[in-house]
Amino acid sequence: MIRFFNLLLVIFFSFFVKANALIEVDITRGNLNPLPIAVSPLSLDSKSNQELQKIFKKKNIGAEISSVVENNLKTSGLFNPLNKDAFLQKPDIAHLKPRFEDWALIKAQALITGKVKFQDEKLRVEFRLWDVLAGKEMMALAFTTVPTNWRRIGHIITDKVYERLTGEKGYFDTRIIYVAENGPKTKRIKKLAIMDQDGFNTKYLTLGNELVLTPRFNPTNQMVTYLSYFRNLPRVYLLDIETGVQEVVGDFPGMTFAPRFSPDGKKIIMSFAIDGNSDIYTMDLENRIVERITNHPSIDTSPSFSPDGKYICFNSDRSGYQQIYVMKNDGSNVKRISFGKGLYGTPVWSPRGDLIAFTKLHKGKFYIGVMRKDGSGERLLTENYYQEAPSWSPNGRVLIFYRETKSDSEGKGFSAKLWSIDLTGYNERLVITESDASDPSWSSLLSN
Amino acid sequence: MNLSKYFKGAFLVMLASLVLSACATKKVGNQIQGDVYTGTDTVEYLASGVPDRVFFATNESVLTTASRDTLRKQAEWLRKNSKINIVLEGHADERGTREYNLALGERRANAAKDYLMTYGISGSRISVISYGKERPVDSGSNPLAWSKNRRSVTVKAN
Amino acid sequence: MIKNIIISSGIHFIIIFLAALSLPFLAKKPIDLPPIVSVELIQISDKTNIPFAPKAKKIIEEVKKKEKEKVTSEQAPPKKVKKEKPDSVPLPDENIDKVKKIEEKKQNPEKLDEEVKQVSEFEKKELFDPNNIAALIDKSKEEVAETNKKTNKLTQSQDKDANVYGLTLSEEDALKAQIFGCWSIPLGLPYNENLLVRIKLQLKPDGSVVKTEIIDHARMNKPGQGFYKVLAESALRAIKLCQPLRVPTKGYERWKDLQLNFDAREMLEG
Repeated sequence: MIRFFNLLLVIFFSFFVKANALIEVDITRGNLNPLPIAVSPLSLDSKSNQELQKIFKKKNIGAEISSVVENNLKTSGLFNPLNKDAFLQKPDIAHLKPRFEDWALIKAQALITGKVKFQDEKLRVEFRLWDVLAGKEMMALAFTTVPTNWRRIGHIITDKVYERLTGEKGYFDTRIIYVAENGPKTKRIKKLAIMDQDGFNTKYLTLGNELVLTPRFNPTNQMVTYLSYFRNLPRVYLLDIETGVQEVVGDFPGMTFAPRFSPDGKKIIMSFAIDGNSDIYTMDLENRIVERITNHPSIDTSPSFSPDGKYICFNSDRSGYQQIYVMKNDGSNVKRISFGKGLYGTPVWSPRGDLIAFTKLHKGKFYIGVMRKDGSGERLLTENYYQEAPSWSPNGRVLIFYRETKSDSEGKGFSAKLWSIDLTGYNERLVITESDASDPSWSSLLSN
Repeated sequence: MNLSKYFKGAFLVMLASLVLSACATKKVGNQIQGDVYTGTDTVEYLASGVPDRVFFATNESVLTTASRDTLRKQAEWLRKNSKINIVLEGHADERGTREYNLALGERRANAAKDYLMTYGISGSRISVISYGKERPVDSGSNPLAWSKNRRSVTVKAN
Repeated sequence: MIKNIIISSGIHFIIIFLAALSLPFLAKKPIDLPPIVSVELIQISDKTNIPFAPKAKKIIEEVKKKEKEKVTSEQAPPKKVKKEKPDSVPLPDENIDKVKKIEEKKQNPEKLDEEVKQVSEFEKKELFDPNNIAALIDKSKEEVAETNKKTNKLTQSQDKDANVYGLTLSEEDALKAQIFGCWSIPLGLPYNENLLVRIKLQLKPDGSVVKTEIIDHARMNKPGQGFYKVLAESALRAIKLCQPLRVPTKGYERWKDLQLNFDAREMLEG
């Protein structure tokens, strides 16, 4: 009936309208304002709440989970979670059938609702994402997990929402490994630390008896490679996070440093310094075979594989100053790619493969920037007194790095903190850590 | 008065100030010369008249005349005390990336080691360690502090 | 006298020297800032409101009414779209041991829990079915598909006269400015992809939208084009948010069918 009517309408118009040339209007601009989103607290029935309160001492775990989601969304810079005070609908009812007019009224364009239940000693969390303007559900998922994992549920929900609304994978169910610092600048005590991406659940992996630097995850996030000054012999180590077992990587008669895993996790690439010369080596973790990749009297360091494993970017001062080079994974075809003014260091290949992030020193300022893998399209994202060592979020959208402040001769004013910035150069944020921190490395997504 | 005299005067002034300003970048007080620390604030002594450290210019591992002088004194002292082994600790200032600085520290310590060896000290008595920017001697964020931190320090190992 | 000149030239030199040192530094922008988004205010210089042909108006209103009915009736019988994805992904973390997918989108809340499908421990389905979503985005897809053939014919046959009947510059600018303000470009879009989505609109005389149709609809279901769906949805949201569109007060026939070409590329590359 309706179709018939439409047909009729069209036929009618075809007579009525003499010239029906379709007018096209090009919309090439929009606003880059964060998307207004309402995160309704997850509803929680009173029976489940009573039982969960025994476990958590949290007033309402549903509200806690949604505030994890809310904080993640806000931190991303792409979303603007709206103030809960303005919400008109109750969480449980909103989850069943949102009154879209109410949510549109407070300018929400998307809405997250959900429900938490405690059954069989497990936490069951269900959530829905709604397109408020279209009045439609966009996604619905449920998770079951042990109650202590509730924060991860919040991160996973954020990842799903983020992916559904931005078109790229999220990066919230991830961890960051870094070096926790304290003590005076001249005798800094450094420990390996690991935390959730949002700064919670910090755990320390070493005691601080020896200097540790530059930890990096393997692709499955179970192993970490880092530099340790154990017994005053700076060497690359391997640490199993679950078991806590550590071992030296290889048997080198000198300092090994700047380690990273290959994308398949089977090799470690690093620098080996002897007699005043640093070159790049790989070691296969299965058969322990060591390969020399560069052989040049200059300093070659900070190697990083491309995500397909076929290329390596690194920095070298073979031109006289630190610059970024790219070569094949066997060390052939070395090409310099950085040609801007200043010094370039710490190149890191993006997980998407198209960009290389770096640290740049120019006229006494440090920059974090990105360039394409052929060196073109250099963009500097942030400038500061001192900052370096960017690490990519697993989706290649955000960089985390560390920044140090100036200090006087007594070390007063000194601090080292983690910061993150969006690839666009927007949304620079301090990442909260329990102590001073440096050398961050982002894990891949824990779930998926 | 002759006009050209004024121009001459002005020209001389410009030249003089140009020369002076060029010098200004290289001199902070009397403690830095050509970007290398020449003071004695942080220096300790292995023995009377034998300084324990040498300093470097930014991003450099070349030994200055003064550094070579210091190292010759150390070599002489090492020859006299043949049972002493040493560790050369290479350091960099905080104005570089961590990993590059580790390599740079290693290069500096080895520059000192090579020089000691040319003066007859056996390589087996010398070990080398780089701390990069991890162990500054002066916490300050200024050119003078950085110049003190760009160093190779000779430490008794036994 | 000479002393004065020396002092003067000395000071001058210092100033020149300082300027030479600092100016090139100032002139160099250290950080690449994307362009600032400005809101344009445009006066529309058009005249009185010409009453719309009563017949057409009546019909459109009736259609609108019918369409509303249709929307609700569409939702009543739940449409089941179940797609088993073969590429199941193992979950590395055993703690989160069950991921369940709520398959159904239904209005009937009581039945909700029964509809929840469970997936085995190490298996997870695609979180959402792109086909399903794509279909959902445009409720009117089916109807449009039918009517569309006709409209296409119309436009094709009458393309010759097209140039005579466009929007005037100020009319177009007014519309653009309005939609610029409504369109929140998803910042996560890949900046190096084709980011053009074309949407055909059917409008009422007051500028409210009767119907939207994504022209390159098929692209939404293509693998690796997930961002296109996101982009299309954002464009549809912009249109919804902007309703009624700031259309000219007269000449309904010219613009009752309108095509908006949303292109995010310029903004994201900026």
